[in-house]
Amino acid sequence: MATEASPHAVRGFAIEAASRDAVARRPNQLLRNLNAKIAAIPMILTAVFVFFGGTIWTIVYSFTDSKLLPRLKWVGFDQYERLWEQNRWIISIENILIYGALSLVFSLVIGFVLAALMDQKIRFENTFRTIFLYPFALSFIVTGLVWQWILNPEYGIQSVVRSLGWTSFAFDPLYDQDIVIYGILIAGLWQGTGLVMCLMLAGLRGIDEDIWKAARVDGIPMWKTYLLIIIPMMRPVFITTLVLIASGIVRLYDLVVAQTSGGPGIASEVPAKYVYDKMFLGQNLAQGFAASTMMLLSVLVVLIPWAYLEFGGRRRNV
Amino acid sequence: MSSVSHVAAGHVEPAIAFAAGPHGPKPRPAFSPRNIMIYGTLLLVSIYYLLPLYVMIVTSLKGMPEIRLGNVFSPPLEITFQPWVKAWAEACTGLNCEGLSRGFWNSVRITVPSVILSIAIASLNGYALANWKFKGADIFFTILIFGAFIPYQVMLYPIVIILREIGLYGSLSGLVIVHSIFGMPILTLLFRNYFTSLPEELFKAARVDGAGFWGIYFRIMLPMSLPIFVVAIILQVTGIWNDFLFGVVYTKPDVYPMTVQLNNIVNSVQGVKEYNVNMAATLLTGLVPLIVYFVSGKLFVRGIAAGAVKG
Amino acid sequence: MASVSVRDVSLNFGSVEVLKKLNLDVEQGEFLVLLGPSGCGKSTLLNCIAGLLDVTAGQIFINGKNVTWEEPKDRGIGMVFQSYALYPQMTVEGNLSFGLKNAGMPRDEIAKRIARAAGILQIEPLLKRKPSALSGGQRQRVAIGRALVRDVDVFLFDEPLSNLDAKLRSELRVEIKRLHQRLNNTMIYVTHDQIEAMTLADRIAVMRGGLIQQLDSPHVIYSKPVNRYVAGFIGSPGMNFIDGAIESGAFKAGDAKIPVERYQAQNGGHAGPATFGIRPEHVAHDEQARSMPFSREVDVEIVEPMGSDTLVWSKLGNQSLSFRTDSERYLKVGDKVLIGFDPARASIFDASSENRL
Repeated sequence: MATEASPHAVRGFAIEAASRDAVARRPNQLLRNLNAKIAAIPMILTAVFVFFGGTIWTIVYSFTDSKLLPRLKWVGFDQYERLWEQNRWIISIENILIYGALSLVFSLVIGFVLAALMDQKIRFENTFRTIFLYPFALSFIVTGLVWQWILNPEYGIQSVVRSLGWTSFAFDPLYDQDIVIYGILIAGLWQGTGLVMCLMLAGLRGIDEDIWKAARVDGIPMWKTYLLIIIPMMRPVFITTLVLIASGIVRLYDLVVAQTSGGPGIASEVPAKYVYDKMFLGQNLAQGFAASTMMLLSVLVVLIPWAYLEFGGRRRNV
Repeated sequence: MSSVSHVAAGHVEPAIAFAAGPHGPKPRPAFSPRNIMIYGTLLLVSIYYLLPLYVMIVTSLKGMPEIRLGNVFSPPLEITFQPWVKAWAEACTGLNCEGLSRGFWNSVRITVPSVILSIAIASLNGYALANWKFKGADIFFTILIFGAFIPYQVMLYPIVIILREIGLYGSLSGLVIVHSIFGMPILTLLFRNYFTSLPEELFKAARVDGAGFWGIYFRIMLPMSLPIFVVAIILQVTGIWNDFLFGVVYTKPDVYPMTVQLNNIVNSVQGVKEYNVNMAATLLTGLVPLIVYFVSGKLFVRGIAAGAVKG
Repeated sequence: MASVSVRDVSLNFGSVEVLKKLNLDVEQGEFLVLLGPSGCGKSTLLNCIAGLLDVTAGQIFINGKNVTWEEPKDRGIGMVFQSYALYPQMTVEGNLSFGLKNAGMPRDEIAKRIARAAGILQIEPLLKRKPSALSGGQRQRVAIGRALVRDVDVFLFDEPLSNLDAKLRSELRVEIKRLHQRLNNTMIYVTHDQIEAMTLADRIAVMRGGLIQQLDSPHVIYSKPVNRYVAGFIGSPGMNFIDGAIESGAFKAGDAKIPVERYQAQNGGHAGPATFGIRPEHVAHDEQARSMPFSREVDVEIVEPMGSDTLVWSKLGNQSLSFRTDSERYLKVGDKVLIGFDPARASIFDASSENRL
């Protein structure tokens, strides 16, 4: 090739040749990482911008006075003060605490008892499991609506019991401020305990069979074996299930919207509903941000100690 | 009865005579207290679980007059499918009276692309994390997993902004992206755990043969992963079809998914409530995930157990 | 009176016959080993004796009492499991006392029994520890202790040493033998390891397919196995089997003709296809071979030095024959060696029934 090359072209050519050389020396390593990195781009983008960035953004903007649109006007802890003065918020916190505590306790107890019964080498195990688990396949909206119908005072449970003779029986959660949260609890337990039962059953099945034999030879009655030997052995399963349930409780939203729409009045308000209503219906973004930051805090309070116990401990041992 | 002596292999001379008394399996009556307690409890609890399904079906097959006369548990005297027809094609949701069918097709158009997209992304992710570790991968993954635990509310608005910027806020595609984003943590975990459990020798042999990232994925990993893909599909179809929060935040009324429409039909109607139509509509909305559930059986259990176990 | 009696016991799992009309008597203070490969039914039989499994037919007697329908705790047994099955959340002391506390035993009696068991098994310093802080050998001792404190007559062991490494296994084997000599209880021990069986047992019950093949002392099982299966199961390295036939008072295989006058047959004369079995350690070589009733020169094909001695493979007729030599005797492939043996120490089996002739 007798073409005359300009100095720029020559230099560019030299640089290109040099970098090609570098790549040629370790082609596999660079390319290998590159492909994996390309494949992981969605995860990286999501983790950074949505999960991490989005959360930080919301927290930052909770310190502003954004109304209809986000606005960077700093107001310090104003939103939080106002939040905790709102009756609606206080009620939603109370509700979520009652619902959370009862849901946790009952889910674990019912789930474990069902799992223990299913573990007794019974017939029709698959049938029973199908029955206990199918609610989990349904939407919370479906669950809320059907239980709303069942708890209907005119046609539902109250009327049935009354027609059987107990004419003064009153069970009207949907219209009674004091017990509406229990109506929601019944529906929530109906949907969620099947999952807990499955997890407990898996945990039970993982117990060494010889432990049962040894307890039998020792003459320990079955209930005592469960209580004093098996349950302590299942501590990891209980903890995992607990964390799972706890992190899902604060998200309670669809069920309330469907079953009671937050009513009667504001008696069954929950934090998640407060957030949505303020953000998208009430034109009060910053209040919504503050409320959601509070929700985040409540989850972190459970999550961080658990994560430390699970993973921090291991690192120390190594 | 005297003992018989044998010398051939398999028999040994007994030293004591056969005595009368208990022999064979211990008699265990079918109706022992233990059995009554176990099956009794299970049956009682089953009633609690089956009741709503029964009520849904029974109510949706009655006419309104019959409903007013009876209660939620009474079976229909006269079966009618009119509520179903009305729920599907004529129920009103504020703006129009086209029934749930519109929401159904919206849900289909949301679920199918979301399932495909989220599983494609997550399976590649899990594969990259399991076999091709690179610097920083674990940090991003940890953030991802944390993202699965923190309440969605805290990320709702930033996503609204992002979608508005790219012009997809309120559209089906926007919702598909949202579902893919929030499906990533659990699915990536699922796939990563699965791929890590595959024998490493397979991967190494393929590398020795000269296959690269994509080649190994398509020619070796995918064909071996059918079970986990089915589990992921089950998880996603159920989760996305049943979603309400994202549907109500990120879509405009004409592309509402079925769950949002259902809630509107039942809860926003003023005046006379048509309970049978409501229950028919509820049942219709729950039908798709229920069918998935009953068909998939054990795989469903495996899916939720896998999704629930943290890495 | 026997300590444990199994009478016509059968066990079916669905349509599968796991135990087939078994009869067994274990004497007081005897150490009986149930030996066999996986699936032969030995663990199942032990579980039936313990009461953890219901028999389909038959009876079980312990100390003269019919316990067929009794719960394990009422049978007067203690049991040690392969996986130790210690209660993980309790201390060693808790593990030992749990069953006794449950039975309502007074505290000082419990303390006395624990002290005694801990002394015998030398686990006193471990009493306050939890199972996770113990080694495999220590855990097994605690498991034995849990059976000891029950103060029973019969101990049942379900492959207790199978989870331990070889060195620990041989150490604990001696401990168990010592324990038996000290306590003199009846012990029924399940294993697939024939060395454990030979070293520990007063009698061995070799099992296969739900039936007891032979019930005899280790020595008799070793020297006079009742069929080809038992002969091949016991003894390592395994017995040599040479196929051929008995004709006119001699065993013929290929061009080898082995006189069988010195062989003690069970049923007198026999003719026809048979299998000749001789253990490698009973095959003499060089000088000693010359004085044997049968001797022959063979070619060395493979030499396996094993440290204490060497296993040499050759052919008799055209069938494989192995024999043991001292590790000092240096042989290489292709050497010619004179070997010989005495048919009195051999075992001859009928070719079709595989029973001892």
